Amino acid sequence: MKVTVNADLCEGHGRCQSAAPEVFRLGENDQAEVLQAHPPEELRAKLERAVRLCPRQAIAITGDR
Amino acid sequence: MTTLNPTEINLANPYLFLNNEQHAAFTLLRREDPVHWNPGPQHEGREIFRGFWNITKFDDIFAMSRDPGTFISGHGITMATDPENAGPAAGLGKMMIVTDPPRHVRLRRLVNKGFTPRAVTALEPHIREITTTIINDIARRGSCDFVTDVAALLPLAVICDMMGVPKDDWQQMFELTNQVLGGDDPEYQAEGADTEQTVNQGHIGMFMYFTRMVAARRAARKEDLVSVLVDADIEGDKLTDEEILYFCYLLILAGNETTRNAISGGLLALAEHPDERQKLHAHPELLPAAVEEILRWTSPVMHMARHASRDVELRGKQIKQGDKLLLWYPSANRDEDHFPDGDRFRIERSPNEHIAFGIGEHFCLGAGFARLELKVMFEELNRRLPDIELTGPVERLRSTFIGGIKHMPVAFTPER
Repeated sequence: MKVTVNADLCEGHGRCQSAAPEVFRLGENDQAEVLQAHPPEELRAKLERAVRLCPRQAIAITGDR
Repeated sequence: MTTLNPTEINLANPYLFLNNEQHAAFTLLRREDPVHWNPGPQHEGREIFRGFWNITKFDDIFAMSRDPGTFISGHGITMATDPENAGPAAGLGKMMIVTDPPRHVRLRRLVNKGFTPRAVTALEPHIREITTTIINDIARRGSCDFVTDVAALLPLAVICDMMGVPKDDWQQMFELTNQVLGGDDPEYQAEGADTEQTVNQGHIGMFMYFTRMVAARRAARKEDLVSVLVDADIEGDKLTDEEILYFCYLLILAGNETTRNAISGGLLALAEHPDERQKLHAHPELLPAAVEEILRWTSPVMHMARHASRDVELRGKQIKQGDKLLLWYPSANRDEDHFPDGDRFRIERSPNEHIAFGIGEHFCLGAGFARLELKVMFEELNRRLPDIELTGPVERLRSTFIGGIKHMPVAFTPER
């Protein structure tokens, strides 16, 4: 699976970082950074939670693998 | 609460909220009729405004909020707004909260920088200083009106400072806000004025004030949000004066009425749940969780409206294009499917993924400030006035939009 953050939507609320710190970090410019674009399958539940919690719907998971 | 039949529930009746009976109605609707048709209220045989759908389940409100193409904001966000005949106070298509993507995205990016986590964190010392001043002013008195003397002042000061409104004018902003958002309440209506006239008076007063301020900033910029708006540029487009005025209007309204009611409602919740309050005093590290529970419990913005941009089916109900749907956040935040024992106030609740700030496209821009203001206020209250208690009944706002408290008599051991 592939994880992306839409920079036009991200406002740096940081909910993704608390849901999946392995994959997201709030960067210098108050935007979420993706630490691993192709995270392992065992993180899927955490990532789906991050998608749900993001107030601005800025996170997308693509590819089932 | 004697109503047992969902068809008898009328959420256009402000007395339901004034009497604090809304949660019984929401519980019944979630169980029996979660997508509920509410006929428009009548006066002397005529409909005052059109009927609407009451949406009361968390999952429905969540999904609709994240589908701004189907459920649009541009036709108005309150129960009584008529998209075909809306007054200037509604600001349809002009004020950010009543626009849709892609315009909404562009407007939001203009002001977003002032509300990022970094911007919020940077203001913490300032917010603590304001809070300290507010408490200093009442600490020796031993009693006060918690709403007008404490809760209202912090969010008002924070948003006014950000926008560049000088201190001498804060009281005026408070009064104009009450007229616009509390226009249905007799306390804020001028002699002989009805709701609509009161709302319009507040709106005009606010526009006149900011017209002068925008002119002053055009002549000389300052370090404030109004100057940012004057200079704002969306891909070569400048904001018109009218758009700037709607921005100022929205920021002042949203920035002070909402957090005011979370602070007042939070103190009320703690006063009504002495065990939880004691727990918080013994374990100050629980405060961030307590703030989330206060937000869930009070849900100060009670609804936002959306309009269907096409025919759509929801839980077997046929929603027609143009129908109005009201998303009831206090109901979502006590939905049994997400909040077991949601009718209990528990400061340690976890998980607590409430949607008091909404979710999706129109997620509250000022959520970070609201959370920080609540945290600092309750830290300082717990430290300095730990025995603050209610000494009389609270006076609630008559409104179907804002879950408000107007007055709240409290007493405490005076500081020496």
